[in-house]
Amino acid sequence: MTSVTRLFIDSTRALKMWRVWTYLGVQDIKAKFHRSFFGPLWIVLTTGFFVTGVGLIYGLLFGQPVHEFLPYLACGFALWGFIVASITDASATFVRAEGYIKQFSYPKQIYLLRTLISSVIVLLIGIAVVIPVQLFFNEITPLGWLYALPGLALLIMAALGHIAISAYLGARFRDFPHAMAVMLQMMFFITPIMFPIKLLHEKGLGFIYQFNPLYYLIDVVRHPIIQGELALPENYLYAGAYVLATWVAALLVAYKLDSRVVFLL
Amino acid sequence: MTRASLILKNVDITFEGALSSEEGLKSWLKRKLLTRNVDTATNYRIEALKGINLEINHGERVGLIGLNGAGKSTLLKVMADIYPPTAGSVSIKGHVCPMFEFATGFEMNQSGWDNIRIRGLLLGMSADAIEEKLPEIAAFTELGDFLDYPVRTYSSGMFIRLAFAVSTSINPEILLIDEVMGAGDISFAEKAKRRMFEFMEQGKILVFTTHNFNLLNDFCTRTVWLHKGQIVADGPTDEIVKRYNEEHTNAQ
Repeated sequence: MTSVTRLFIDSTRALKMWRVWTYLGVQDIKAKFHRSFFGPLWIVLTTGFFVTGVGLIYGLLFGQPVHEFLPYLACGFALWGFIVASITDASATFVRAEGYIKQFSYPKQIYLLRTLISSVIVLLIGIAVVIPVQLFFNEITPLGWLYALPGLALLIMAALGHIAISAYLGARFRDFPHAMAVMLQMMFFITPIMFPIKLLHEKGLGFIYQFNPLYYLIDVVRHPIIQGELALPENYLYAGAYVLATWVAALLVAYKLDSRVVFLL
Repeated sequence: MTRASLILKNVDITFEGALSSEEGLKSWLKRKLLTRNVDTATNYRIEALKGINLEINHGERVGLIGLNGAGKSTLLKVMADIYPPTAGSVSIKGHVCPMFEFATGFEMNQSGWDNIRIRGLLLGMSADAIEEKLPEIAAFTELGDFLDYPVRTYSSGMFIRLAFAVSTSINPEILLIDEVMGAGDISFAEKAKRRMFEFMEQGKILVFTTHNFNLLNDFCTRTVWLHKGQIVADGPTDEIVKRYNEEHTNAQ
């Protein structure tokens, strides 16, 4: 059996065991907020504090109308958090599952899906915070939320690619999560989350986001939610191309490292 | 009913890598960029198993003996499809139930109940089957109210009770056991032994490692003797045990 067929068989087996990874993923969320008073409400509180604090200051600083800027910020913050989690937190996927991997012969891909489930839950709670903000400013468009679904699907697929890459590389190179944290911190400042893109345009700095694949991933979800219409067609194309690229990279990494993971833990 | 079987052909397992201080990105870059020939002083290469040929068929009970570090546990992990062989091939027919490290693989902040469910799922039980067996498993652990507590409050003996109870509640086809006889306190050890015997009777294939020759004689018709990653002898238990004892008493 070649490693490619093995990888394929394992992945399909893993997908079929959805009960296992959804259970583990949900348990991870429960464990994360175990014995905390607010529980998963902390996700709401984090977004809430960030948005009011940063929103008011940056709104004034950039001269943005608050009723537009706050929902934009809340949405971008939740999406960004999801992308960060799919890269940095995900690098501990196999390391955390060491006890299982060394004891049970299950396809390792279930641990990738487990990480995906728990990050998606956090994302959904985080993004739901946008609703009360929009309601407060009377800016909500229910149809826009529906239009966000294709973008959300692309974002989640990209996250699965990220998780796979990070999980394998994170098991091989223990420097990986730290290096990624530094890189993402820098990306945070050049990705339009805390500032609207038209500011960059006005200053002739459009290239800052145009060459940033993470911008497209965020835009295909955020634009429909905030503007109530589909994002630009080419943005879906760029996001889709990025998904494809991450999946190819993920396959290569998995092909190289899958059989070695158990020895690296 | 499918016939369970385990076939290993020319299996090698080689552990390779750098010593812990040399595992970072820095040393990886150094090796990749600066030096073409790998510095052998900072790298290890252990041949844990060499050219293992083994065929175990439906209904066989096999004991593995050998000194510490002979490769017994590694061989079991290959049979469980946990370690992919570095060379050679492994063919496993039947559902494998590994019983290895009983003290790892727990979600520390979750209750005993949740951990029973997780281990059950990972051992291939369906969610319904787990719920059905939950009272029986719980009763066997004798942990009572402690099952409501997060498992980080458990003692090592309690971990073993929990893991043992879940692992032995399934219907095994290929049962692989790594030295778990001494589980728990006296009262539990007795109970565990009885349950283990019942469990071992059910398995279509049983492979276990032990240093206890009485156990070996009771359970296994066939014994495999490993030394430094290679099979020294493979045959009827009494004969192999006799040779093994002679070898090691002479050495003293």
